[in-house]
Amino acid sequence: MLEVTSKKIITLTLIAAVLGGIFFVFHSYNPSHHSFFLPCPFKYTTGYHCPGCGSQRAIHQLAQGDVTTAFGLNPLMVLSLPLIIYAFGLKLYNYLFSTQLRVHLFYNPFFIYGYFGIVAIYWIARNIPMYPFTVLAPTG
Amino acid sequence: METSNNQAGTPPDNNLVWAIVCTVLCCLPLGIVAIIKSTKVKELWAQGDHVGAQKAADDAKKFSLWGAGLGLVFFVLYIILMAVGFAGGNF
Repeated sequence: MLEVTSKKIITLTLIAAVLGGIFFVFHSYNPSHHSFFLPCPFKYTTGYHCPGCGSQRAIHQLAQGDVTTAFGLNPLMVLSLPLIIYAFGLKLYNYLFSTQLRVHLFYNPFFIYGYFGIVAIYWIARNIPMYPFTVLAPTG
Repeated sequence: METSNNQAGTPPDNNLVWAIVCTVLCCLPLGIVAIIKSTKVKELWAQGDHVGAQKAADDAKKFSLWGAGLGLVFFVLYIILMAVGFAGGNF
C-alpha cells in the first residue's frame, strides 16, 4: 500500500534534485577537459587503472546519448548500470510501498563471487599494455 | 532477477548494490569487505541467525559508505592540492 507521507515526498524531491544535479553536471561538462571532477584515488597514487576508471567520462558520454563511446571507456560500468538502476529502483519501491522485495541475484553466491572475480580479472587485464587488453583501458 | 515478497522468510537487504557502486564507480578496497559481509547475510539468515544477518547487512552498508566517505576525503584533499597549485589545471 502506498502511504503518502511528507517524509516520503521530501525524500523523493531530494533524490530527484540530486539525480538531476548529477545529470546536469555530467551532461554539461566533459571530465576529460575539466579537472574539478574527482580523479580516481588509485590511479592518482599508483598510475594504474582500476575497475572504476573511465566511469565518469563514460557517464558524460551516456548523458550525451553516446553509448558506444561510453562502452569503450568502461565496459564493465556500462554493463553493470542496468543492474544498479534496477537494484536502486527496487529499494525505492520498497521504501515507498513498504514492501520487502529483494534482488535474488544478489543473494546467489555464484553471482557475487563471479561478478567480483570478473572485476579482479578486469582490473589486471586493463593494465596490460598489449593488444587486445588495451581495448579495456579507459581511453578514447 | 525475479523478486518475492515473502514477509516471513525475507532476509535483510544485503546492500550488495552499494558494494557494486563502490567498485565500478569509485573503486575502493572497502567495497571488498562490503561484498564479504553481503554474502554472509543469506548464510546467517538460512541458519536462523536473524540478528547476525541484520548485523552483516548493516556492516555491508557501513563499509560501502566508508568507502564513499574516503572518496570524499580524497576529493577535498585534491581540491586543496589543486588550489595550492600542485594538481589539476584547467577548470
